[in-house]
This record gives sequence, C-alpha cells and structure tokens, in this order.
Amino acid sequence: MQSEIPSRRWPWFAIGAAVAASITVAILSPADAVQGELVRIMYVHVPAAWLAYLAFGVTLIASIGYLISRNLAWDRVAASSAEIGVYFTGLAIALGMIWAKPTWGVWWTWDARLTLTAIMFFFYVGYLALRRTTDDRRSRANRAAVLGIVGAVQIPLVHFSVVWWRTLHQPASILRPDGPAIQDPIMRVALLVAVIAFTVVYVSLIVKVLELHRLSDAAHAAEAGEHRPVAGASVTAPELDPGLGNV
Amino acid sequence: MTTGFGSQVAAVVRRDLRRERRRGDVLWITIPFGAVALLLLPLAVGTDSVLLQRIGPGMFWLTVMLFGVLVSVGRASVQTQAQRDAVSLLGLDPAAGYVGRSASAAALLIVYELIVGAVAVVLYDIDLVGIPWLIATLLLVAAGLGLLGALAASLVDSASAGSALVPLLVAPLSVPLLLGATQAYEGLRFGDSILRWMLLMAAVVLAVAVVGVITARPLQET
Repeated sequence: MQSEIPSRRWPWFAIGAAVAASITVAILSPADAVQGELVRIMYVHVPAAWLAYLAFGVTLIASIGYLISRNLAWDRVAASSAEIGVYFTGLAIALGMIWAKPTWGVWWTWDARLTLTAIMFFFYVGYLALRRTTDDRRSRANRAAVLGIVGAVQIPLVHFSVVWWRTLHQPASILRPDGPAIQDPIMRVALLVAVIAFTVVYVSLIVKVLELHRLSDAAHAAEAGEHRPVAGASVTAPELDPGLGNV
Repeated sequence: MTTGFGSQVAAVVRRDLRRERRRGDVLWITIPFGAVALLLLPLAVGTDSVLLQRIGPGMFWLTVMLFGVLVSVGRASVQTQAQRDAVSLLGLDPAAGYVGRSASAAALLIVYELIVGAVAVVLYDIDLVGIPWLIATLLLVAAGLGLLGALAASLVDSASAGSALVPLLVAPLSVPLLLGATQAYEGLRFGDSILRWMLLMAAVVLAVAVVGVITARPLQET
C-alpha cells in the first residue's frame, strides 16, 4: 500500500506547482519592453518544449533499459513518457503558433526549428501507432524500444537547429553555453518556476499513466490466463480431429 | 545454414531481387507512380517553366523519399509469419538478413532514382551539374533509404497495420537525407562546397546501418 501514496500525492504537488507558477508569471513577472503582455506565452511555450525533450529523453533511456534488462517495466516507462511527450510537443507547437501570429505576422513559417519540431511530433505519433499494432507485450516492447532509440536523434536536431541554421526562431532561452538569454532577473526566475512546475506536472502525469499501463498489462495477462494455476499432466487438452477445424 | 555472413547477405539480396523480377512491384507500380507525381505537380503549382526548373530537383528528391519508401513497404506486406519462421529456422544471421534486405532495397531504389530522375530532367529541364557528385548523392540516398526502410519494415513485420505504418516511420527519419540531397544539388549549381552535406548523408547511412545491425536479433525475436 505504501507504494500508492506517492501516486496519490503527485497530483497535489502538480496543482501546487502550477498555482505557484501561475502567480509568478501572471503577477510578478513584468511585461516585455518590446512584446508587452505577449511575452507571457513564453512561460508556457518554453516549459512545454522542455518537457518534450525530457519526455522523449526518458523514452530513450527506458528503451535502452528495456533492451538491456528485458524488463517490461522499462517498456511501460518508455510508452508513458512518449505519450506525455507527444501531448507537450503538440502544445509547444500550438502555443508557438499563437505566439508567432502577432509577433511574426504568420501562424507558421518554414523555419528549421518549427519544421523539425513538427517532424518530431509526427515521428512520435508513429511510435505510438507502432505500439498499437500488436497486443503481444514482448513483441511490442522489442519493436518500440528500437524505434525509441532511433527517434531520439531528433532531440538534439530540434534543439540545435537554431544554432546550425539561420532561423527566424530565437536561439535557446535557457539551455545555452553562454548562459540564459533572458536579461531581466524576475523574468528568468518566473521562467525557472514555470519549468519546475511543468516538470512536476510531468512526474505527476507519468506516475498516473504508468499506473494505467500497469493495470492494462495486468488485465491483458488475466484475460490471457497467464497467472492461472497449472494442473500439469493431470489435465490434458482434448485432441480434436484435424478435419473438424475449430467447430 | 552454415555459410558465411557475405554469402548469407548475397542469398537474401538474390531472393529479394528474384521476388521483384517475378512481381515487378517497383518497376511496374512504384516507378510509374513517381513519374505520374512529377507530371501532376505542374498542374498544382502552375506551368511556369522557370519556377518548375527551380523546384524540379527538390520535387524529384521528395518523390524519392515518399515513393521510395514503398519499396520497403512491399517487402513488409508480402512476407508472412510462416516465411519468417522458416528463415529463422534455417539459421540465417539476423544481421545478414537486415543488410541483405537493405542492399536489395537500395539496388531497387537506384533503379527508381535513375528512371524517375530521367523523367524529372526531361519534364523540368533540370541542369545536370557535377555528375560524379550527383552519382554519389544518388548512391548515399539509396543506401540510407534502403537501410531506414528495412529497419522500419523489421519493426512492423507481422503487425496488423504494417504496410501503412512504414512511411510514417521512415519519412521523419529521412529528413537529413532529403536536406543533404537537395542542398548538395544547390551547392553544385552555385559552385559551393557540398562536402558537409555528403558527410551528413554518410553519417546517417552509417548510424542507421549500425543501429539496424545491432537491433536485428532483438527484432527477430518478436
């Protein structure tokens, strides 16, 4: 029973962190000198993008973990994290588009960061689609683990796209060698609080999604009779006449 | 099967090419499909010959990426579980199987590139500059797509939505190849160095080959 306690507490942590972040970014953080109130989208867009990296990074680590250990718990972590990653990648793209319209004048532009992020989104949609093609947990885990490792090459591609190509999208805000790009200390703190809050939300979600996957696997195992007692040689299956088929 | 790795690869390549000779999927379906796509494009964007000459190379590479995947899709959809089991029981090294399937797909993709490329040159009046580099680009793209396609086909083998899923898995991963190929041609046209684009494509080919070989056995166990 003790293992269930953290699972129940995490949503409260997530709500607390979200409230703290909301107060910080909505009240304490100032409006930007150039973008005005629009800058507040950054406090949701940047953490959503960060969570996409984090989630797909966890999928990579869990995929490697599964291939080494063949423990299906790793596969459940990979799947849960990819599901959350797809959601937050979609959110980052949608928020980016909402931000782009008033600042760039268009919803979408053929920028390396935008395009590669959209490609990463569709790749992980494919990853989730691959997982739905079979009910055999072992087969699904093997295939998904390979794809989870191969697909991770897109994370550095997306992140460094603003360095490797000339892009309209601004350079990285936080994860950059010469320190954060945001000059105002309150804005920096607000963004940090938002990133931490989103990370707590991610942990809260993954705990819940993991539990769902575990229950789903247990239900499949129960349906397949994997844990039923075996009577051994005292009970034998009837031998059907091959000519009768499955009648 | 106790023959060496090279012999096993050659056997798989012969099998796949023999199957293509009998079925003609690439020659009679995929290649005409690519040519038709190149014919349809001007109907969508207009028949301005200057515009078409400018976008023609990119459109050619796009058809290679999108329709070339069908080479691997065909293999994923025709091989039954019983055939896969029989091949496993023969003792075929999974890595040899992967390399062989990739090589046969790459060979078929080269045929695709040459025929559809000729169609693109004629329809879009594309300048053929830096022929040796263009050939190297064709080979790298064919190898990369062949390896990616074979890997994706291994992932979805026997899966219910296998053939539909392969393009969704391969298309995002083939982006570096598409970028490399289109940028290399642009570099050749304007006399810029294309070495970095060739290296990018070579790195992708190498990386996918390594991943495919390492994961061949775990995937065969599924």
